[in-house]
Amino acid sequence: MPNIRIFQLFCQVDFRNYSHFCLLPFLPFIFFVSSLSMNHVEVTNLSKTYRTGIFRKRQIQALVNVSLTVSQGEIFGLLGPNGAGKTTLIKILLGIVHPTSGDASLLGENHASVPLRRRVGYLPENHRYPSFLSARDTLLHFGRLHGIPREQLSQRTESLIETVGLKDWAKVKIKRFSKGMLQRLGLAQALLSDPEILFLDEPTDGVDPLGRKEIRDILKALRDQRKTIFLNSHMLSEVEEISDRVAILNKGEVLRTGTIRDITGTNLGHDIELQEPVTEELLRSLRVILPDIEGSGTRLAIATADKSALNAIVDKIRETGFHIESLGARKSKLEDYFIKLIKEDETS
Amino acid sequence: MKGLWLGLMTIRESILKGTLLFFFFFGNAIILLFAFAISSQTEGETFAVTFFGNPIPPPPAGTIGPVEFILYQLFQTSTQSAMFLGIFATAGLIPSMLEKGTVELYLSKPISRIEILLSRSLGACAGIGVNLLYFALGIWLVFGLKAGVWHGGFLLATLASTVVFTFYYSLVAFTALVSRSSGFAIMLAFIYSFFSGALEMREMSLFQLWDNVVYHRFLDAIYYCTPQLSAMMESSARLIAAFPIPPMMTEPGEFTAMPFLFSFLSACLFYGSAAWYFSRQDY
Repeated sequence: MPNIRIFQLFCQVDFRNYSHFCLLPFLPFIFFVSSLSMNHVEVTNLSKTYRTGIFRKRQIQALVNVSLTVSQGEIFGLLGPNGAGKTTLIKILLGIVHPTSGDASLLGENHASVPLRRRVGYLPENHRYPSFLSARDTLLHFGRLHGIPREQLSQRTESLIETVGLKDWAKVKIKRFSKGMLQRLGLAQALLSDPEILFLDEPTDGVDPLGRKEIRDILKALRDQRKTIFLNSHMLSEVEEISDRVAILNKGEVLRTGTIRDITGTNLGHDIELQEPVTEELLRSLRVILPDIEGSGTRLAIATADKSALNAIVDKIRETGFHIESLGARKSKLEDYFIKLIKEDETS
Repeated sequence: MKGLWLGLMTIRESILKGTLLFFFFFGNAIILLFAFAISSQTEGETFAVTFFGNPIPPPPAGTIGPVEFILYQLFQTSTQSAMFLGIFATAGLIPSMLEKGTVELYLSKPISRIEILLSRSLGACAGIGVNLLYFALGIWLVFGLKAGVWHGGFLLATLASTVVFTFYYSLVAFTALVSRSSGFAIMLAFIYSFFSGALEMREMSLFQLWDNVVYHRFLDAIYYCTPQLSAMMESSARLIAAFPIPPMMTEPGEFTAMPFLFSFLSACLFYGSAAWYFSRQDY
C-alpha cells in the first residue's frame, strides 16, 4: 500500500520543472524504505452483517467499523469473548467471508485476491483434514493446492513434519490422530508455502503444555524471520507471552488496540507485606492519609499510584512500630484487563 | 494444475468411500463370468455364440443379433447401476467439502472457487467414468477374444453414458451445494431420474393430466432446462443397436446428438449457477 501511494505521489510530480528530475536517483531508496515500514495487514472501517432466517430478515452484526493495522514481523493477538467477531475478521481477510462494507489489504494487495494466498498461511479453528490421508499425504495434498513445485514440496513436507514433532506419525492415517497432533499437523499445513503472513485461529487448542511451548517457540522463530503472525486465541497468558500488540474485540467492535505494555502497564496500586499482622488500629490511622486501603493477614493493599501518598503511608507504618517485609507495585495482567474491559463494555 | 490435482484427489476420495470400490469388484466379477462362460462355435457355415456351452437364444424382437442383444442388456444394467451407485458415491463429495473446518482450508488456498467446484464435480464424474469404461473395455475384450465379436458401438455407448453422468451430475452438484445435504441431493437426483422418462414422453403422459397451455409450456421449459437423461440414454443405446429393443427403445432409429446438446447447455446452466452461488457465499 505505501508503495502505491508513493507511486501515486510520484506521478503528480511536474517534470516540466527540470529541477524535479533530481528526485529520480532517490526513487529506489524511497521504495526500499517504504517497503520496510509496510503494514502487512490494513483494515479500514470493516463491517460485516450476517443475514439469517428463511427470508434473510434477521441481521447479526459480526463486525462494526473495525480498523487496525499489523506491521511486518509483528505477532498480533486478536482477543475477544465467543462471538466477538474474531474468526469473521480472519475469514474476511482471507476472502472466505465477504465484507458488507469497508476495505482490507494484505501485504499491500486487495485481501480478496486469489494469487495473494500463495503468500499467506492459515490454520482454521476446528479444521478437518481428509481422514483417509496420512500426515505426509495431507501436507502433499495441500502443498499441491498451494502450487508448490513437487520437489520443493517434498523437502518442505519432511522438514515441517520434523519441526512439528510428527516424524513417527508421518505415515499414519490422520483419523487416528489426537486433537493435539491434528493441531501440529494444521500448523505444518499453514507453514507449507513459507508464508509471509500467518493466520492462526486457536493454534494451541487441545495441545498439551509441552506442545504449546513448542508451538510458541516456532512462532517466536518465525517472528525472528520477520514473518507476520495474526493470532486468534482464548489463551490470554499465551497471547501475553508472545504477542507484540493486541486488539480486544467485543460484539464486533475494537475496544482497545496496543502493545501488551500499554495495556497491562497501568499501575493499579501497591501491595505492602508486613512482618506483623495488620491491626484495625493501623488501618484506621492509615485511612486518614488514604481512605482506599484494605488489609488482610500481613498484607496491605493500597489503591494508589501516587508516590507521595505511598511515602506518607510507609512513614506512618514505621511510626506505629510495624516492620515492612516487602513493597511492590501491582500491575494488571492481560487477563484481568481483558475481563475488566469486557465487563465495562457489557454494562455500558 | 491445481484443479487437476484436486480432481484426482476427489477420485481417490470417492474410491475410498467404498461404493466405487464395490462397483469395481462387481464389474470385475461380471467380466470374469463372461470370460469363462462365453465362447463361439462354428458348425459348417453357421456361426453361434454360446453361454456356458448353450447357444444364446435370439432376442424377442428378432431383428437384432444375439451378441448385440447381450451387449445391450449389459450396457443397460451397467449404466443404470453406475448412475445409481455413482450418485450414492459422489453426492456427498460437495457437502463434505463445505463442512466447517474443511471449506476454510480449500478457500484459503490460491485456487479460485469456480476451479474448486468444477474440479470437485468433474473429479467425481471421472471416478464413475473410469469405472464404467474399465468395465466396458473388459467386456469388449472378452467378446472380441472369445466370441470374435469386436463391437465398437458398445465402447462408444459406454463413453457416451459417462458424458450422460457428467451432465446429470450438474443437477446433483447444484442441489448439494445449495442444500449442503447429500441426502437431499440423492433424493432429488432419483426423483428426477424417474421423472425424466415421463418428461420425455410428456405429450403422451403428463400433458394428458391437465389440458392447459401454460402447464404444457412449463413442462417443456423443465425438459429443455434440465439434463435429458432418458433421451440421452436411449440415444447412447442406439450406438449398440439401431433396432428397437423394448422397453427402452420403442421405435427404430439412429444415434442423435440433440439430447446431448440440450443437456450440455443445461449442465452449463447448472454448473454456472452453482459457481455463481458458491462465489457469493460466506463460509
